[in-house]
Amino acid sequence: MNYDYLIHIGILTAIYMINAFSFNLSLGYTGLINLGQMALFGFGAYASALLTRLLGMNVWVAMFIAGLMTMVLGMVLALPALRLKKDYLALVMLGLSFILYALSKNWISLTRGSLGLPGTVKLFKSNLNFLIAAILIAIITYVVLKKIVNSKLGLVFQAIRDDELSAAVLGKDIFISKAIALGISAFFAGVAGSLLAHYLTFIDPSIFDLSQLVILLSMLIVGGLASLEGTALGVLAIVLITEPLRFIGFSPVLLGPMREIIYAALLLIILIYRPRGLLGKVDID
Amino acid sequence: MSVFLQLLINGLIAGSIYSLVAAGFSLTYSVNKFMNFAHGAMIAFSGYMMFNFFSKYRQGFVLAFLLAILCTAALGLAADFLVYRQLRKRKASTTIQLIASLALLTMINSCILLFFSSDVRSIKIANPVYIVMDARITMVQAVIILTAILMMAVLWLVAFKTKIGKAMRAISDNKEVAQTVGINPEKIYLSCALISSVLAGIGGVLIGIEQNLYPQMGVMLIVKGFAATVMGGLGLIQGTIFGSYLLGMVENFGIWYLPSGYKDAISFVLLFLFLLFRPYGIFGKKRREDVA
Repeated sequence: MNYDYLIHIGILTAIYMINAFSFNLSLGYTGLINLGQMALFGFGAYASALLTRLLGMNVWVAMFIAGLMTMVLGMVLALPALRLKKDYLALVMLGLSFILYALSKNWISLTRGSLGLPGTVKLFKSNLNFLIAAILIAIITYVVLKKIVNSKLGLVFQAIRDDELSAAVLGKDIFISKAIALGISAFFAGVAGSLLAHYLTFIDPSIFDLSQLVILLSMLIVGGLASLEGTALGVLAIVLITEPLRFIGFSPVLLGPMREIIYAALLLIILIYRPRGLLGKVDID
Repeated sequence: MSVFLQLLINGLIAGSIYSLVAAGFSLTYSVNKFMNFAHGAMIAFSGYMMFNFFSKYRQGFVLAFLLAILCTAALGLAADFLVYRQLRKRKASTTIQLIASLALLTMINSCILLFFSSDVRSIKIANPVYIVMDARITMVQAVIILTAILMMAVLWLVAFKTKIGKAMRAISDNKEVAQTVGINPEKIYLSCALISSVLAGIGGVLIGIEQNLYPQMGVMLIVKGFAATVMGGLGLIQGTIFGSYLLGMVENFGIWYLPSGYKDAISFVLLFLFLLFRPYGIFGKKRREDVA
């Protein structure tokens, strides 16, 4: 067993966790079925990679700006979120990831299409330093989101989730609140995407793949909605369940699909038998 | 003129392929009220089964075709029984069923990948080319257009002229009232799953012969089928037909002006605009529960 591998898994887990925390804010706490989470994540990754590549920007600055750009995109999504309900909203969000996928694949002069962007600047030379930074950012994300969901604003989010009409009757501005929730959530999704881009030093359109969304959904739903601790647990559980497959002796070719089958199966089992997941406080509806 | 005619025929072919995909998807939506994205994977599965029986095990064409449909129907019934029925039992929302269908979609894709590898496969049959006034169309493409028309006609006949179609429309309209007059919803859901997976089976074989097979093909197909149904109006037969051909035409005439790589982008942008401004489609009616 070598440490490089453990560090690699640790970094990916931390990035997943940031993304899943962000997902929980929009889906779990505010009740917006945001199936476009991967669009936000991938947008952040591409934005950050391009900022450093084309403008030679410092990686940390690029990460922050990519987060802000993703935040703007997230806030724009509040417009359809005001008008559309449930499934239609979910599909507009999902549609966004299809559009970004097609754009990243076809806007070849900017993104090199399906060849992807190699040679993105690495944040740290040493993976151990990267791991420490990623864990720190995950902890910061947790603390910030925890503060927010326990604040008055967080209560408004949850009121909107539980009963939008009553929240409106009590004088809460639904549109502004949804925009803020999506904006904050998108900011962290963008930062997580940027971290991935500057860790792998390569991104391509497959970041918008539907299977990526299923992985993230299974992490979130296994952990449970509206509980950040649950999300952390869910991410760890999914990683711990699927990583050991590598040691059972499956060939690398079979490993990918095997994992995806497990992610999907876990998601289905939780949806059918334990809709609230491990520590969830609410149901999706 | 000949470019125009060729694009028209290409649009017609693309529209027919989309309506083969959209038919079952739209039927499931109209009866079960949820969007079954796994339908795309069922189509891919059927294509691979055809490849398996026809190209790999060298069975006769008709036998392989029937076996592919049979396997797809079995998969569709299993999915309904093991997943969707369990979700209905605990009264899960349509959003949960939608998420479950996404999970099923990636699961079936991965199973295909596991058994058939990621290599691109093709089903080879004799496929003569016809020239109609300078425009080319192959036999398979002609069969696809005819099948799409036939399929919609049969679907319409089943929906409006048979007892089971009447029961389906009753469930679709108002489940509780339908139950009080003695319609068993579970029976209807099961037959709906059967019909839509047979439709996926037929579509899958034809699409598998026309295009190459690759494990992720179902995702792109169902996104297009979904886009077509949304544009026309979810769950409506006339909407499905209209949306499919609209999408096929817009994509093919769009590349007159844009590079062909943007074909998919055109349809996604169109889908996005419809979802934002007219999510109930051209033929659908605005409902309070969908749009504020």
